[in-house]
Amino acid sequence: MSTADLELAARCRAGDAEAFEELYRQHARRLFSLVLRMTGSAEDAEDLLQEVFLQAHRKMAGFRGESTIGTWLYRLTMNHCLDHLRGRQMKMSRSTESLDAEDAFEPAAHVPAVPSAISRLDLEHAIAGLPEGCRAAFLLHDVEGFEHREVAKILGVSEGTSKSQVHKARMKLRAILSQ
Amino acid sequence: MSCELYDDVLDDYVDGARAADGGRDPHSRLASFEAHLTGCARCQSLVADFTTIRNTAGALEGHLPPARLWATIASSVEDDHNSFSAWLPVAVAASLALLIGGAAWIGWREAPPPAAENASASQADAGITIAEAHYEQAIAGLQQMADAQNTQLDPDTLAVLRQNLAVIDRAIMESRAALANEPASAPAQESLLDALDTKVALLQDTVALAGDLDSQRTDDADATSQEVNQ
Repeated sequence: MSTADLELAARCRAGDAEAFEELYRQHARRLFSLVLRMTGSAEDAEDLLQEVFLQAHRKMAGFRGESTIGTWLYRLTMNHCLDHLRGRQMKMSRSTESLDAEDAFEPAAHVPAVPSAISRLDLEHAIAGLPEGCRAAFLLHDVEGFEHREVAKILGVSEGTSKSQVHKARMKLRAILSQ
Repeated sequence: MSCELYDDVLDDYVDGARAADGGRDPHSRLASFEAHLTGCARCQSLVADFTTIRNTAGALEGHLPPARLWATIASSVEDDHNSFSAWLPVAVAASLALLIGGAAWIGWREAPPPAAENASASQADAGITIAEAHYEQAIAGLQQMADAQNTQLDPDTLAVLRQNLAVIDRAIMESRAALANEPASAPAQESLLDALDTKVALLQDTVALAGDLDSQRTDDADATSQEVNQ
């Protein structure tokens, strides 16, 4: 963890409003993009990010500096996102037939090759179709650029699980994009 | 060798693990996979597709949150802070009561038996006596605070209180650290007790101030009600 990170955390803990705004400015864009891609709704992303930063403000005293402040914020964000999505899924499951997302996107054994150049828009749509577990790992690893050990910390899983989730996501994306 | 046996290293390969190790280890699973890759169309296709997906994903653009979001967050944080501050004196007084009570209890439990009375024992006894006295005072202060439940201090006063408490807490921490290095040091013991004394005094003042404000409001309300009755 960098000295600047520690100083910023200490200032936030001391109630420095400017430091907290600095923290927001440093991370809001990446976190908002992540939440937007997880939820698929700008409105939900706004609400969730507001809750995340309010929680961050409350929990700052518990931030011990074992990870970077960014990783800590990502973990808070992912916990909120996954809780939100599970809540939404529960509501949907009450009014719909069984909808097993894992099975819905199971890739075929042999798929045609993905075009050598895929558009970002196509990829965004394909990511939106991933089940939430492997979507989270894929977004953190391939989009945000975290290493598997960091993804594991953020999602509270083992490094092996992170790797297998990213592999699963890539396989499913390959199947979607080659159609 | 079957392709599926390489699934665990295929992603590492796409992520550049082979390039990262410089191809130094010819016996690693990555090296073995690389050799397999030259003759396997299925794995070549997977590597090409995964690489395309990975590169495009890494180039996805971020989405800017709306400008109003920070204003909403700042306002929520402020509201949260204010509601926390309103309860701060109660929480601090309760914590201090527990702290001093705990110290007094530990001091009583760990005090040497009468047969081993010596200079350090008498110092410890003195410390316990002082701690006990402060404990009683903090409890009394807490009681007063509980009686004045409806009283709230204004935000500026609370901010000053928080700053002063933070300074005193730092002094207590430093005194404890000094005492941990030299447990028999009389100056270190005095320093800690002084810091605790200061904190108790500040809390007592706070409780008294809160009580005064409450009574003033009650008096004002009584006067208004008398005027209305007249």
